[in-house]
Amino acid sequence: MAKRALNAADRGEPRYLWRFTPLQRTLHALVIVSFLGLVLTGLPLRFAYAPWARVLVRAMGGLQAAGLIHRFCALITFGYFFTHVGSLIYRTLRGTPWKRILWGPDSMVPQPKDFRDLVGMFRWFLGRGPRPQFERYSYMEKFDYLAVFWGVAIIGFSGLLLWFPEFFARFLPGWAFNVATIIHGDEALLAMSFIFTVHFFNVHLRPEKFPIDLVIFTGRATADYLKEEHPLEYVRRQEAGAIAGLAAPPVSRAAYLWSMVLGFASLGLGVLVIALVLWAVLH
Amino acid sequence: MVGRSGAPQDSALYVPAAILQDTKHSGLGCPDCHRGYEAGYPHRVATRVVPCQTCHEHEGRDWEASIHAANAASTGDAPTCVRCHGSHIVNGPSDRRSPTHALNVAALCGSCHADPRITGTYFATASKAQARTAVAQYYKTVHGNALTRDGLVVSATCNDCHGAHKVLPADSAASSVNRRNIPATCGACHVGVVEVYEQSAHGAAYRSGRKSIEGHEAPVCVDCHSAHGIVRADQPQWLLGVVAECGTCHERLYETYFETYHGKVTRLGFTLAATCSDCHTPHDMRPASDPRSSVFPSNLVATCARCHPAASENFARYRPHGDARDRARHPQLFWTWLFMTALLVGVMAFFGIHTVLWLARLAIDRVRGGRGTGEQAGRPELRN
Repeated sequence: MAKRALNAADRGEPRYLWRFTPLQRTLHALVIVSFLGLVLTGLPLRFAYAPWARVLVRAMGGLQAAGLIHRFCALITFGYFFTHVGSLIYRTLRGTPWKRILWGPDSMVPQPKDFRDLVGMFRWFLGRGPRPQFERYSYMEKFDYLAVFWGVAIIGFSGLLLWFPEFFARFLPGWAFNVATIIHGDEALLAMSFIFTVHFFNVHLRPEKFPIDLVIFTGRATADYLKEEHPLEYVRRQEAGAIAGLAAPPVSRAAYLWSMVLGFASLGLGVLVIALVLWAVLH
Repeated sequence: MVGRSGAPQDSALYVPAAILQDTKHSGLGCPDCHRGYEAGYPHRVATRVVPCQTCHEHEGRDWEASIHAANAASTGDAPTCVRCHGSHIVNGPSDRRSPTHALNVAALCGSCHADPRITGTYFATASKAQARTAVAQYYKTVHGNALTRDGLVVSATCNDCHGAHKVLPADSAASSVNRRNIPATCGACHVGVVEVYEQSAHGAAYRSGRKSIEGHEAPVCVDCHSAHGIVRADQPQWLLGVVAECGTCHERLYETYFETYHGKVTRLGFTLAATCSDCHTPHDMRPASDPRSSVFPSNLVATCARCHPAASENFARYRPHGDARDRARHPQLFWTWLFMTALLVGVMAFFGIHTVLWLARLAIDRVRGGRGTGEQAGRPELRN
């Protein structure tokens, strides 16, 4: 972070600004818990041949217990998915126009700027240009978000097929369950590979943020953080005179500790999962 | 009777007249077996014992043909009649006191066959390694347990499979435990199973002596159940292990089974999912082209319904050996797998490069004395 003569508070700016709503933070925590539950209970089946698979499935309380946890976490997944979609609909009912959700600086939908930013980042990596500046959501955050959308839809639907094969066999040929098995396992493998490496790096482990970024847990970012990570959003809000309205109280000690515990436990488990996958694949 | 003198110095030789009472030979007198001595004591050197087969003709002939007889002749280190039946007290196999009673046979045979000196001498080669642990294994498995734990005299003990007298190594064609004779040997007790087996694809191949394309002979009972390590077919150890037995011949089907949910559950050590015999039956396995096969198309729904009561025609079109690498047979699976793999490799490669370049950029900036923490050129002037 750039050193400044005066920090934000000294300049009369709020020290903390709201970035995520309680609902967004809750849903993200549910994503973490359910995803880890799904990964840890599904992994032994995907890599049944791995030397650690039997140990892991027994640690989960056996295959039937693992199956139960897996399905329970699936229900949480469907729950947060539909809660989120519902919240978008609710926002439009409360007066936010669809257009603002589907387009513009506060939208999660990829836009020309995101592609320019992507190219710009590669140019910056190669020393051929300045580092691009992001709006409220960088293309990486949008990719993560849409990957969850795609992932939940694909893994969720294929999972339902495998959960209720007799029912779905009323409409689908038997080989659809073979296809569903491949899709379910491989898409899950992609999801965990991506989240536990790329997402972890982009959000937590890169030197600018190492070792953890708690904003998604506490919901509030420092002004300096926003200027660093989302400068265009900061400027936009500043020009709109909206900074003061975003002022947030400092996070409570309990919430901070919980965030640290959840964050570091998830990071640790994710790295462990990657190690197990590599062990299985390279074994 | 012998030793009638009763003198103390003759006590080692003294055989009381009553010894044959209550034995199979109770009607015999000493001279019926001991010939060539005249009444009077001490006996002459020409004394000899009448061979048992004088009376026990059939048993004697069988023993003469056995490996025991051959070894007795060459090394003297093999059982003759008295070693197993006793000399004077011969009670016959139905007498509980007899060493040849079903409940005592394993101990009798084990007195040599569990002796490292014997097993090390006669079963030293790798091909006979199985025999070295046979007795110990037998006690742990279903036949041995039935005898020792449940006291079931009808359970198989050594002589039921190997024969009592005509004991021959398995590689001898005349042996009851030779591959060619195994179904008959096991079938002596497991009548119903052998009946079914003989009608199956394995049984037909066994009869004709036909080998598979890979050169495998048709399996007989012991190929799947082993000889001495037999376990009950409802034990987890069996349910999980039998897949590997089938896999020793059906290699490709073995591999592809583990690509499916059934196989993965089994591989994790749980008996919750179907194994080979659940779909193909334990003994009546037939090719899918045989209308009597459990996996003949029109029988599939019934076969699946054994575990999945709501199975339908569609449901039964599941590929229990679906192999995504096999494009010709399972194009749907192949293209799905290819797409998913390309997606995985593509996404991870792209973002892998993204991540590595990012790290490299930060490292270069730091080395060059920059802050290396993502200083942003062209940052807009922030109003304070």
